Amino acid sequence: MSSRIAELIVSLEQEQTLELVRVRSAAGEDPLALLEECRQGMLDVGQLFHEGEFYLSELMISGEIFKGAMAILEPYLEQVRGGDPIGVVVLATMRGDIHDLGKNIVATLLRVHNFEVHDLGVNVEPETLVEKVKEISPDIVGFSALITTAFESTRRATELLVEEGLRENLKVVVGGGVTTPEFGEYIGADLQTLDASTGVAYCLEAVGAA
Amino acid sequence: MAQESMTSDERVWSALRLEKPDRVPVIPTLLPEPAAGLTGVPQAQIASDNQAVVRAVFDVYDRIGGWDNIYPASYKPIQLQAAGVFPMKMRIPGVDLDDQTPFQLDEQEMLKPEDFEKIAEMGFDAFFEEDFLWRVSELTPETKADEMMQLMVGGAMFLGECAKRECKPFFLANGLHPFFILSLTRSMIPFTQDVFSKPEPVERALRRMTTDLIEKQLLFVKQTGIDIFMCSEERAGAFFFSPAVFERFWWPYTQELVETLWAEGIVTLFHLDTDWSKNLPYFKRLPKGSAVLELDSTTDIFAAKEVLRGHLCLKGDISAALMSIGKPEDVAAYSKRLIDEVGADGGFILGTGCSVPPDAKFENLRAMVETGKTYELTQA
Repeated sequence: MSSRIAELIVSLEQEQTLELVRVRSAAGEDPLALLEECRQGMLDVGQLFHEGEFYLSELMISGEIFKGAMAILEPYLEQVRGGDPIGVVVLATMRGDIHDLGKNIVATLLRVHNFEVHDLGVNVEPETLVEKVKEISPDIVGFSALITTAFESTRRATELLVEEGLRENLKVVVGGGVTTPEFGEYIGADLQTLDASTGVAYCLEAVGAA
Repeated sequence: MAQESMTSDERVWSALRLEKPDRVPVIPTLLPEPAAGLTGVPQAQIASDNQAVVRAVFDVYDRIGGWDNIYPASYKPIQLQAAGVFPMKMRIPGVDLDDQTPFQLDEQEMLKPEDFEKIAEMGFDAFFEEDFLWRVSELTPETKADEMMQLMVGGAMFLGECAKRECKPFFLANGLHPFFILSLTRSMIPFTQDVFSKPEPVERALRRMTTDLIEKQLLFVKQTGIDIFMCSEERAGAFFFSPAVFERFWWPYTQELVETLWAEGIVTLFHLDTDWSKNLPYFKRLPKGSAVLELDSTTDIFAAKEVLRGHLCLKGDISAALMSIGKPEDVAAYSKRLIDEVGADGGFILGTGCSVPPDAKFENLRAMVETGKTYELTQA
C-alpha cells in the first residue's frame, strides 16, 4: 500500500511532499523509513513511465522532488547507519560536449535505487575518467552525449579502460540524443539507449538487483 | 542516365506541394560549425568571423558540386545572441572553449518566473531588447550595433555567393518556437515545473509571443521573397511531454501560426528534434502542404510517412552519428532507402537529421548529396 509521501510524489506535489518530509523528520520518525517512502514514490513514477502514462517531464519533476526530500533528510540520515549501496556508477559527458540534462536525470534515478553515483560533470577528459575508475573501481561507467563532438573522446576513454585492464569487470552504458546503436558498437558499450529508465534497468540487472 | 528536367527551386517546391519531382531534392543542413570541420578552418575562427563562415560554406558546396537550396549560414554565434535568435548564454571556441570545439549554448535559469508577465505585457522582443539580452550577454549597446552591422554585411555576402552560383537559400526567415524559447531561457526543469504548477503565466506569455511572432514573420517572410518560415522546436513532443501538455501549451499556438502563414502562401518548416512519433497525427489537422517536418532520425521517418503521406512534406533524416562515424557506403545505402520508401511518391526532401555534425566526414556528405542527385536518374 502506498504511503502518503509516495502518493504525493506520484501526484507531483512538490511543496506538499517536502513539507510532509520536513514535519515527519523533525518529529523524530526514522529517516530511513521516510527515505524508503520517497523511493517508493519514485518507483511508482518509474512504473507509470514504463507503462506510457508518464513522460520524461514527470520523471524530471519527481526527480526534483526526490532531490529536495534527500536534502531535508540528509542531516538525519547522517545519524543512522544506512545500508550499503547496491552498486557504484561513474557518469560523465566527455570532452567536446557541455550538455548534462539527460545525465543528471539518470544520476537522480540511479540514486533513487540506492546506487552510489560519482558524476564527473561535462567536458571530461578521458584520462580523468580513467583515473576515477582506477580510484573507486565502479561497477558501471555511463557516458552521455548530446552532440557528436564528444564521440572521439568517449571512444578514447573506452580504449583507455581496455588498455589499462579496467574493462573486464566493468559495464559501459551510453545514452544521449545523438547516440545510436552503431555508436554503442563504435565504443564497445554494453548498452546504448535513449531511454533513462532502460539504462537504469540495465544497471540494476548488472549488479544483480533487478 | 536520365537528365534533370527541373531547376532546383522547381524541384524543392514540387516536393513541398507533395508532387513527385524529376529527382528528390537534396538539402543538407550545413551550418557554420560543420562547414568549419569540413574545411579545416578552426572553430574559433568560424565563431569570430562571419565572412569566414560564408567562405567555408561555399567551399564545401563547390567541392561537392552543389545541391539544391542552401541553408542560410552567414553568422557567428554572438550575432545570433544579439539578434535574439538564441537568447541564451553561450560558450565560444577560442574564448570559453578550446579553438577546435564548436560553440555551444549554455542553458541556465536566466528567465525568472515573474518574467512571464513582463513578456505577456511587453512582448518578447521588447523584453529582450530592454532587459533580457543584458542578463545573458557581455555585449554593450555599441558592440551589439557593430555585430548587427557585421551580420548584415555577412548576409549580403552570402546572398551574393548564392547569386553567383544561381542557387537559392532554402529560407531566410527563421526562429525558435515560443515554447522552446521559454524552455531554453528558463531552463528545462524549472520551465517544466512552471508548466505543471503555475501554468497561467506561461500561457499568457505564449499567447503574446505567438501573436507577435506571426505578425513579425508575415512581414519578414514577404520581404525575403522566399515563402518559407523555419521554426525550431526540440522539447514539446512526446519524448518530453504528455499529449495533455502538448495540446494545451504547444498545439493551439502552432496551429494558429501555420494556418495564418499558410493563408498568405507561406509554408512553415518545422525543425523537430527528438522523437515526435506520438505527435504526428496532430499534424494531419494542418492544411495540406502547409508545413514540412524536418526530422532528426529519432522520430521514425518511415512511420511518419505512413501517417502524413499525401498531406505534408518530410525532410531528413541521415543521423548525425552516421555522418560522423559511418562509412560513405552506409550513407549512400540509407539515402537510397529514404528515396525509395519515403520519397517514392514525392513529398520528400533528402537531408540530414538535425544538422550536419561538426565532425562529419567529407566523403559522407558527398555520398549523401551524390546519391540524392543521381540515384533516381540512373534508375529511370
